Amino acid sequence: MTTDDAGAERESGIRARGLVLAAVLALAIVGATAAFPAIVDARAAYEIPVEQQPSADGLAEPTGDAWESVETVTVPMSSSGAAVPGGSDTAVDAVSIEAARTDQKLYVRLSWSDPTANASTDSLRAFGDAAAIQLPVSSEAQPPIAMGSTDKPVNVWYWNAADGAESLLAGGPGTTTQIPESTVETTATHTGDRWTVVFTRSLPSDRANVTDVDPTRDMNVAFAVWEGSNDERSGQKAASEWYYFSPGSSSGATPYESVLWAVAGIAIVVTTLVTIEGIRRTRSE
Amino acid sequence: MSKTTDGTLNQTDDGDVPLAEGVDHQVAMVMDLNKCIGCQTCTIACKTNWTESGGREYMYWNNVETKPGAGYPHDWEEMGGGWDEEGQSRTPGELPDEEDYGRPWDFNHEAIMYEGSDEPLRPMENADWGPNWDEDEGAGEYPNSYYFYLPRICNHCTHPSCVEACPRSAIYKREEDGIVLVDQDRCRGYRYCVEGCPYKKVFYNAQTKTSEKCIFCYPRIEGEGPEGEVRPPSCAEDCPPQLRHVGFLDDEDGPIHKLVNEYEVALRLHPEYRTEPNVYYIPPYAPPQTSESGETVNADRIPLNYLEELFGPEVESALNTITREREKAERGEESELMEILSTVNNDDQYRLEVFDDDD
Repeated sequence: MTTDDAGAERESGIRARGLVLAAVLALAIVGATAAFPAIVDARAAYEIPVEQQPSADGLAEPTGDAWESVETVTVPMSSSGAAVPGGSDTAVDAVSIEAARTDQKLYVRLSWSDPTANASTDSLRAFGDAAAIQLPVSSEAQPPIAMGSTDKPVNVWYWNAADGAESLLAGGPGTTTQIPESTVETTATHTGDRWTVVFTRSLPSDRANVTDVDPTRDMNVAFAVWEGSNDERSGQKAASEWYYFSPGSSSGATPYESVLWAVAGIAIVVTTLVTIEGIRRTRSE
Repeated sequence: MSKTTDGTLNQTDDGDVPLAEGVDHQVAMVMDLNKCIGCQTCTIACKTNWTESGGREYMYWNNVETKPGAGYPHDWEEMGGGWDEEGQSRTPGELPDEEDYGRPWDFNHEAIMYEGSDEPLRPMENADWGPNWDEDEGAGEYPNSYYFYLPRICNHCTHPSCVEACPRSAIYKREEDGIVLVDQDRCRGYRYCVEGCPYKKVFYNAQTKTSEKCIFCYPRIEGEGPEGEVRPPSCAEDCPPQLRHVGFLDDEDGPIHKLVNEYEVALRLHPEYRTEPNVYYIPPYAPPQTSESGETVNADRIPLNYLEELFGPEVESALNTITREREKAERGEESELMEILSTVNNDDQYRLEVFDDDD
């Protein structure tokens, strides 16, 4: 064996190791790229993903199977501190929120612990359990959390265990006004020691001063719950901070999203291989 | 000018009667408790007009209760509401329940009318409290027991804590005459006004899910009542002994202004609640006490401190003024006060058109 042969053999060994290294690197990059969407799916603070569902089956039902696959966000609640008697005395400290949509409707499920179902206001001293979803009338705005303001009004989807659903408009505390013939619908159930309530509404607004839900954009949202057995009503309520509905993912990534990530992964691998090959050729010259 | 028990001025230096901010005139009523016979005609007149049905069955916008007594609703004077000593903050009040007002009773009509039962007609159960339940019980020991009747409506206060209590401004004082009304479209049934009224004269209607109250028969005083004439509220007009004067507090030529601000013989019920009621009362007289043998004793039958509890410390001076004026009349001298209190002319009692040409 000549030194040249030995040199050639050594060179071919280096080349083989380089190819193996490049292949491992390429695989690692492809793997990381494939995993990336899962990493970026981790939810941001105050985000409530709105999951698209192919059909409305079961979504309008508080215990519908369709809700099992929807991500639950636990929203902490605290007294709104409104200037009414007992304004800082509230019972509920957290509400579980889930949101889903079809092409036509938005569905929001609220669930919270409440050992007593107060579903009648027939007595002079009875107050019904209640819950509400607050949305800015104009989706660009983030109104003051307490019922909005004159400039930045809010829509409130209100449910009361005694009286059912109402759609409300407010421009500040004490201004709540019912919007007639509301398209907000609710279904509710009290099982064990929990209320579960689903609010349903068509995505597009059907009139002035009613929030137009654009499912492709983020939208501010806040929540409130009233415990009837604690005489909660009006501003005596457990309320959340502003959260936002995000377009979120559908069940499984959308095809165009997968294609985009695959193209990006292949591009990175090709670029890396071309670079390695370039370096190798430069060395061997 | 004089000071009321709660420290507010009854009359300003230039003689004008102070009214609530933003109110042009203030309707007012004076009830002479010495004339009330407890017949409840006012109660029924009000009820047939306004609260016969539709979730209002339990409501008596006008009621007549025996004092001393628990009243309607039961022990309403212990339920809080009104303003603190500075008159700035409201004090928390309670929501009465059905039992406090008195539930409607089921009677054994069926058994008696259709099943041939010969038992007496009576409530079947829970007949242990109701409006006017403690009628004529009063207090004191024979032969010096005492009681009197106290008709009560909404006081249409100058400083109403019910109005302040509503976070939605659904209850308000009407600009033209200070009548306190609940806007049925704005009300969401929170009941802060029911809690906040220390006289418990706002009522929750569990059927309409809104609160309701005495409206001072405003359609009648606006001339929308019977025959299109201006008439006083039904409770006043239908009263057999005609014990009420109705008019405006700021009608300085009227009897109400004279009784309240000039002679100071018409007093507010529980002035310490500081809502400044516009219903005033001529405090009741009673015969003096008698001994076991029936001799008249020089002692008040109705204890002065009890009357002070109800009408404030001015009650003694009011009673003295009336006594003095009555003695004048007895001597054949002229007494404007006695003329006002004993008039049988409705035109003098009801002055509701004095400001009609204002505008």
